[in-house]
Amino acid sequence: MNKPSLDNRIEVVGQPRRKLSINWLRLHIPGIGLSYLLPPVIALGIAGAVWEVWTRLASVPTYIVPAPSRVLDRLTGDLLFFAGEGMVTLAEALAGFALGTLVALVGATLMTQSRFIERSLLPLAILVKVTPVVAIAPLFVIWFGFGPAPKVLIVALITFFPVLVNAVTGFRSVDRGAMNFLRSVRASRREIFLKLRVPSAMPYLFSAFRVSSPLAIIGAVIGEWFSANRGLGSVIVVAHANLDMPTLFSAIFVLSLMGIGLTIVLAVIEKKVLFWHESSNVM
Amino acid sequence: MNRISNTHHVSLSDVCKRFDDEANGSYVLQDINLEIAHGEFLCLIGPSGCGKSTLLRLVGGLIEPTSGEIRIDRLTPAEAQANKAIGFVFQEPSLLPWRTVADNISLPLEVNLKNNPESARSVSELLHLVGLDGYADYYPSQLSGGMSQRVALARALVSGASLLLMDEPFGALDEITRAVMGYELLRIWNTDKKSVVFVTHNISEAVTLSDRVAVMSRRPGRIVEMVEINLPRPRTRSMERNPAFRRYSEWLHDLLWQGNQNEQAVAR
Repeated sequence: MNKPSLDNRIEVVGQPRRKLSINWLRLHIPGIGLSYLLPPVIALGIAGAVWEVWTRLASVPTYIVPAPSRVLDRLTGDLLFFAGEGMVTLAEALAGFALGTLVALVGATLMTQSRFIERSLLPLAILVKVTPVVAIAPLFVIWFGFGPAPKVLIVALITFFPVLVNAVTGFRSVDRGAMNFLRSVRASRREIFLKLRVPSAMPYLFSAFRVSSPLAIIGAVIGEWFSANRGLGSVIVVAHANLDMPTLFSAIFVLSLMGIGLTIVLAVIEKKVLFWHESSNVM
Repeated sequence: MNRISNTHHVSLSDVCKRFDDEANGSYVLQDINLEIAHGEFLCLIGPSGCGKSTLLRLVGGLIEPTSGEIRIDRLTPAEAQANKAIGFVFQEPSLLPWRTVADNISLPLEVNLKNNPESARSVSELLHLVGLDGYADYYPSQLSGGMSQRVALARALVSGASLLLMDEPFGALDEITRAVMGYELLRIWNTDKKSVVFVTHNISEAVTLSDRVAVMSRRPGRIVEMVEINLPRPRTRSMERNPAFRRYSEWLHDLLWQGNQNEQAVAR
C-alpha cells in the first residue's frame, strides 16, 4: 500500500495539505478585510463630521470641546512631541505587561504543581486584584520615586491577575487521554508541563492578554498622573491644568491608537500561535 | 492460587482494587487472576461500570492495585512503562491538535529520552502500517474519527511496545468504521504479533478479534468466564455469518445477561 487506500481518502474531512509554516512576510491582519474595515471607518468619518459641524454652528468654545480639525492641527503640528511622549507611555506599558505576565506565569506554574501553593497564593492574588490600583499608585510614587519604576509596577500589578487566573485554568485544562498516554511512557512532570500543559494553556493565555493589554495602557497613564514629567499621562495632566483641550484630545487620540495597535499585534500573534485552535477560525 | 509465571507476557494474581474515595469501601475489582500469552489477543467484556477499564489501567500502571501482583514480562507495570513497553489506545484519540500527524506519532520518543528502546520505529514505517501514507503533515482537526484512531494506534506502537492496551478504542466510531478498524487492527496485529488487551462491550467485536474473551461480572468485577474463540485466522467478514460465530456471540450474550439477572435478583 503506497498511497492512501480509497476508504482512507473518503475519511478525509479537511482540505488536502494545508501547509502551516509561519510566513512572516505574508502577515495580514486576521479578519480585517476591506469589508470589516470600511464600515467603522465610514461611521467614524460621519461622527467626526457631525462633531466638526456642531462645534462650528454652536460656536462651542475650544476650551470646552475643540473641533476635530483643531485637534488634528495640534497633533500633526507637533507629531514628534506626541510620538515621543507616546513612546514613553508605551514602553512603560509594555515593560509592566511583560513583568506582570512573567510573574503571573511563574505563579501559575507553582500553583499547578500543588494545591497547597494555590490555596496560599490565590487569596493574596485576589487581594491585590480587588484593591483599586488608583489607591495604591500614590504609595508607589513615595516608594519608587518619579522615574519609570512606579509606572511599570502599577502596570504589572493591574495586568498580572487575568493572566494568572487564566494560566492556572489553562495549565489544568489538559486532555485526560493525552495526559494518561504521556504517563504511560513515563514522561516526567517537566516533559508533561512543556509538551502538554503549556500548549494547552495557550488559548487561555491569549484570552487573558485581550483583557490585560488595554489594562496595561490604563495602568501606565494612571502612574503618570501621579508622578511624571514624561508620557501621555503627564501631557494630559498639564493640558488639563491649562484648559488646553486640543492637546488633551490629541493625547487621548494617541492613546486610543496605541490600544488598537496593541490589540492588532496580539491578534496577529494569536492567529499564528493558535492556528490549531477553533478560535483561530472565528475572529 | 496462580503463581506468577515467567512464561506469560502478562500475569495478574489475586488483584483487587478499591478506590479510596469509594464511600462504602466496596471493591471495583476482586480476585482477578489472569494470564496472557505472548502474542495473544484478549478481549475484556462486561457491563458498563464492571471495572474493565480499571483493570486495563492497572495493567498499564496508570493506577496501583489495592492488593495482588501484576507482572509484565517479569517487570512491574511501572518498570514496563519506563521501558516504554506498553502502548495505550483510549476511546478518544487524544491527539495533540498543535502537532502534525507525524509529530503526534513520534511524541513518545520525545519524552523519557534515556529509555528510548532500540526497537523504536520510524514514523513513515508506522504511517504505512496504519494505512496513512501521505498524511504525515496533516493536523488532527483535518482527520476523521477513524483516521485519528489510526494515528493513536501508530503512536502506541512507535516505541516498539510489545503490549497494546486498548480501552474501547473504536467505541466512538460509527458501525461501519468500527468494523473496518477492527479488521485493520487484526491485519496490524498479524504483521506485528503484539499482545493485545482490548476492552469492549460489543459482543461481535469481541468474537471477531479475540483468541480469548474474559467475561466480567457487575461490581465488584470478577472474571466469571474465560471463553476461548476457536475460529480460524485470519478472521474475515464472511465469518460473521458462520454458525460457530453466532454460537459464540449467543454464548457471550447469555453470560452477560446472566450476570445482569443475578445482580437484579440480589438487589431485590
